[in-house]
Amino acid sequence: MSADGAQAGLEPLSALKVGGANASVVPFLAIFALAAAVPFIGNDYWVLIATRAAVYWVLVSGLTLVIGYAGQLAIGYVALLTLGAYVTSVLAAGNVLPPIPVFAALALAGLVGAVAGVIVGLPALRLRTFYFAMTTLGFATIVTQIALAWQSVTGGGIGLSGPEMPAPFNTTRGFFFFCLAAAAMCTWMSSNIAGSRYGRSLVAIRDADVAAEAVGISKPGLLTKVFIFCGALAGIAGGLFASLQTYITPDAFTFDLSLLFFISILIGGRGSILGPLIGTIVLTLLPEIAAPLAAWSAFLYAAMLLAVVLLIPGGIAALLDFKSRAPLETGRTIAPRLDMLSALAPAVGNQETLSVRDVVLTFGAVRAIDGASLDVASGQIHGLIGPNGSGKTTILNVISGFYAPNSGDVQLGGVPLEAGDPVTRTRHGIARTFQTPRIVGEACVLDNVMLGGTINGRAGFFATLLSLPGSFRDERMFRSQALAALACVGLDGLADVRADRLQHSELRFVEIARALMSRPKLLLLDEPAAGLSVHEIVHLGQLVKAIAANGAAVLLVEHHADLIFGICAHVTVLNLGRVLAEGTPDQIRVNKEVVSAYLGG
Amino acid sequence: MKLTRRDFAKGAATAAGLSALPLARPAFAQTEPLRIGWLAALTGPSSAPAIGFDRGVKFATDAINAAGGVKGRKIEIVTRDTQGDPTKAVNATQELISQAKVHAIWGPTNSGESLATTPIMARAKMPNIHPCVIDTLIDPQKFPNAFRITPSNSQWDDAVRTYAVKVLKAKKVAVLADTTGYGVAAVKASVAGLQKDGAEVVYQANIDATQPDLTPDMLRAKTAGAEVIIVWSTSTGLNARMFNTRAAMGWDVPFVGHPSMSAGDIPKLLEKPGNWDKVYAVGYRSCSFDANGKLPARTQELVDKLKGKVDLSDTLMWWVAGGIDAVNLIAKAVGDSSSSSDDIIKIWNSLSNYPGYFGDITFSATEHNGYPVNDVVMSAANTAKDGMFRLAPGY
Amino acid sequence: MLTSIISTGLAMGAIYALIGITYNTMYSTSRVMSFTAGQLGMLGGVFGALFILRFGINSVVGFGLTMMVCAFIGVVTELVAVRPVLKSIEQHLYVLSTLALALMISQVVAIEWSTEPQAFPRFFGTAAALIDEKFWFPVAACAATVIGLEVLYKHTLTGRAFKAVAEDNLAAQALGLPERNLRIASYALAAMIGGLAGFSGGSLLLAFVANGGLLNFYGFVPVALGGLGNNRGAIVGGFGLGLFQQAASFLVGGIFASVAVFSLFIIVLLIAPQGLFGAPQSRRV
Repeated sequence: MSADGAQAGLEPLSALKVGGANASVVPFLAIFALAAAVPFIGNDYWVLIATRAAVYWVLVSGLTLVIGYAGQLAIGYVALLTLGAYVTSVLAAGNVLPPIPVFAALALAGLVGAVAGVIVGLPALRLRTFYFAMTTLGFATIVTQIALAWQSVTGGGIGLSGPEMPAPFNTTRGFFFFCLAAAAMCTWMSSNIAGSRYGRSLVAIRDADVAAEAVGISKPGLLTKVFIFCGALAGIAGGLFASLQTYITPDAFTFDLSLLFFISILIGGRGSILGPLIGTIVLTLLPEIAAPLAAWSAFLYAAMLLAVVLLIPGGIAALLDFKSRAPLETGRTIAPRLDMLSALAPAVGNQETLSVRDVVLTFGAVRAIDGASLDVASGQIHGLIGPNGSGKTTILNVISGFYAPNSGDVQLGGVPLEAGDPVTRTRHGIARTFQTPRIVGEACVLDNVMLGGTINGRAGFFATLLSLPGSFRDERMFRSQALAALACVGLDGLADVRADRLQHSELRFVEIARALMSRPKLLLLDEPAAGLSVHEIVHLGQLVKAIAANGAAVLLVEHHADLIFGICAHVTVLNLGRVLAEGTPDQIRVNKEVVSAYLGG
Repeated sequence: MKLTRRDFAKGAATAAGLSALPLARPAFAQTEPLRIGWLAALTGPSSAPAIGFDRGVKFATDAINAAGGVKGRKIEIVTRDTQGDPTKAVNATQELISQAKVHAIWGPTNSGESLATTPIMARAKMPNIHPCVIDTLIDPQKFPNAFRITPSNSQWDDAVRTYAVKVLKAKKVAVLADTTGYGVAAVKASVAGLQKDGAEVVYQANIDATQPDLTPDMLRAKTAGAEVIIVWSTSTGLNARMFNTRAAMGWDVPFVGHPSMSAGDIPKLLEKPGNWDKVYAVGYRSCSFDANGKLPARTQELVDKLKGKVDLSDTLMWWVAGGIDAVNLIAKAVGDSSSSSDDIIKIWNSLSNYPGYFGDITFSATEHNGYPVNDVVMSAANTAKDGMFRLAPGY
Repeated sequence: MLTSIISTGLAMGAIYALIGITYNTMYSTSRVMSFTAGQLGMLGGVFGALFILRFGINSVVGFGLTMMVCAFIGVVTELVAVRPVLKSIEQHLYVLSTLALALMISQVVAIEWSTEPQAFPRFFGTAAALIDEKFWFPVAACAATVIGLEVLYKHTLTGRAFKAVAEDNLAAQALGLPERNLRIASYALAAMIGGLAGFSGGSLLLAFVANGGLLNFYGFVPVALGGLGNNRGAIVGGFGLGLFQQAASFLVGGIFASVAVFSLFIIVLLIAPQGLFGAPQSRRV
């Protein structure tokens, strides 16, 4: 804490955040300390239950990234537990190959789990949520069927003995401490991912997938990594489960177990590691202390799930989030600090011009863009106006890759942009905001802004998992840049506040801060003034001007005529997908066609 | 009323072959109740056996306690509903051992659970009696604490095979079962046994119990020339569908196999009562009527005692009898020596022709399968009365 | 063998198609796919058996009561598991809320009814028919449903209002259509179709709690194959699935038949995520 305190003078917010991180370790330490004490205060029965909770947590700690963070509703995850249990048991027993040591078998179970994790997860990349949920259920059935049918290896219905751990882990206590250590390790790894750019990206995929693509997050790549990690943990958990059960048969792997896993996560709270940990412990304990209700346990799980979904969608984590219940200061003002923009300016000497040439885009029979062209030079603010439905936002979407035009091309600095591939845009130096702010409401403002820098991270998934030094460097860089960006737009006072508590106008500035994180050469703003007060619009104008003055090209779609004519060097007027007029604000103001078509003269 | 009940119970306990009189051996431990753990799949799928056993358990416990208990110690049954889930069974077993500190455990009642709990009980040297059929569950070397008072799967299998091959004189046999762990294992064992005996297995399959139409499998069995169909499934729905399909195909092949083919809820699922003809299920001599409709004397005596106290109409007699025998065996062991694990196991190991209601139980240090093989018989499935059956033709 | 493939295949196909239509009808007004669809099929069988066999009620009245109970459960689904999560539909909470409700339904049935299959009454009596009613009843029910829905959608005001809500929810609201009431009505209607699937297939499937999960999956396959919201696709998909499954039962046998169906399902979905007759996904930005 003292080291953090020393930094406080320089970066008060960052110190606060680090202090917060330390504080957030306390509940984990308390839980694991309590768990470690179980063998000394309870009998073997309680040790068994605690071991069970630890084994489940090994699986759930990974699954929480898939379900809680990425929002992929994998409801049949018992399939991977089954697979891990059988792989470990079969290899350790030597049913196929000569018997191998238990630890090697566990490692191989992790490997097989990782591969299977990708296979089970693959449909998530192409299918809708409900479809994906169904396919995971199907996998759960298939794995059990195969275990039953493949008698020579799995023992079929009679099953086979679970792996026997070597000393000193072959006693009840020894095995418990082994599982507890594994659980602690998994908590640490999952937390590393959750607190990194990967964790933020996962949540963005869940709650703001369009924004995630716009900041360069590739959903398939990221999900595949997470499925591998989660599958590996599930496989290892399966091996531990088999050892705990001492004997496995296909009927040990019931749908109730799947249910326990994902309800633990949802009760715990999405986007949290601590919540699901508590959830797992509670759900493991519940049937034990409510033995008379055994017959109704599945019903109770389901009722709890329904109650959580309807009443506390945030789960335990939301209940424990006292900070977000403290009232925010009212009458806040947004005061951008334009002097700090230089820290986020694009690379020196940006001379790149955006050029849109003869773009045509049709939706069915409708020609949404009908051969529009425009150029935006660096350092210039280019206004794009036109009546509703004239194709302004559509052009923005073509430039940012969400739509592939039927013909025409879009270049930045002479380099053609990949049509219909939004994920590539950040790499070209293009950032954007949205007509309706696309924000992760459940994350804090700072996290939302940090998301904008995602592709600049250097530490890979593996380095982040093990918290290698590179990941610290990344986080420090993201944090200082995001604080700077927030200071630029004048929201640094709200860095730690949950984004869904902000006013609409503030969210617009958060989006601009997020866009600034990638130091864009070209910034696309989609109606940033909508919903802002007069005072805020003035600040917005100053901010946009300063951004352009720092060397970025800005394309501004706006209805607010005063803002357009006040800050743009150049204006293009669209009507019915065509360019109606272009020129300086003064030229546009007196253009007869524009006046009649748009200004309603 | 109270008096008659007490007298009756005393009689029951005496009849069960135990010394119901409290012996004068005062010791602190003897005021402590004798705790018996009872792992029962009372709810969930395949809960019918446990429900039947449970009636016997309660009856025997009440009888012994009403007669003063075992050496003055009341019997306390600690029941845990495992719902047929091995995970719940493992937790409950550890709880009974470490937390409830029971003296012996009866159950669990299905093999999937027992496979998981047996090693745990062995580690704790917990005296255990169970009714699960899978052969590997009994191994006096590996599990010196585990005893079985019901036939093993291979004993069932022997009875069924012998009946199919010797009595029905079938040369070509089809073996069908459900897709549960038990079903898959049973088909394998059954086929191996038949082949060893020189019968030809012309068709074998595991069928999902929810499959609505069994014509595919039945037709393949018929085309293959099956003269008998051996069935290993606990699913009454699957069994009834087989009987209906057989009738719809106009086929009269006999079914031989698992006791659940004679379960009480089958008739409601039949399209015609006649579809239940020529179905022979595993039964027990102790729970069978002979050709004259008479029961063995000991069973008749029990039936009279149970009358009005235990409902037999919707369960099987051998389940109730098995439950009674299990409690009595534990009580006897404690009554003859002490409630220490070693003593209970020692007494059981020396048990010879113990006159249980279900059968004469004999254990030795090297044989923990206690049920007499010759008492496993085949019964005609559609002849149930009070949970007992008439012997199949040929006995 | 061929007769059996066709008779059972068509009967099962009709049941799957009806469950598929149940999914679609719920989806059309709410954009929600509900895990309760298959459970309603199961309930159709269970309540039919409860009213007619256990309570001894006349079978036509029993059928009416079954439909009413199912409709009630449909309304409850809408009120409890759908409406509260509609405002945040992009979070897909409905997957969880409807799954929770479906599990609760199936648990209550397992405990209060039975975990073993129970007999289902013959609806048209035991008079020796040319073909057993268990084969033609589901097909007839499916045909009646299709015709009924066609009449409803094309020729009644309510039906046209349904269509309007299904096509553009916001526009329909702007037109002053009682969108909420229409949604409730569509859930009741869907639930009756699901109940009809279970009731007409009762002699084939029996009154069995495990049918819920089974129909949830196999009723969803035609929806996935035929394209979400496309009833014609669901019917083609349903009959196709029924025949494929029955043929697979004959050719490869029990365990592998379900593996074959699942593999087909995954492969088709990965190749054509919108189904074979489905419309492409709507715009996101």
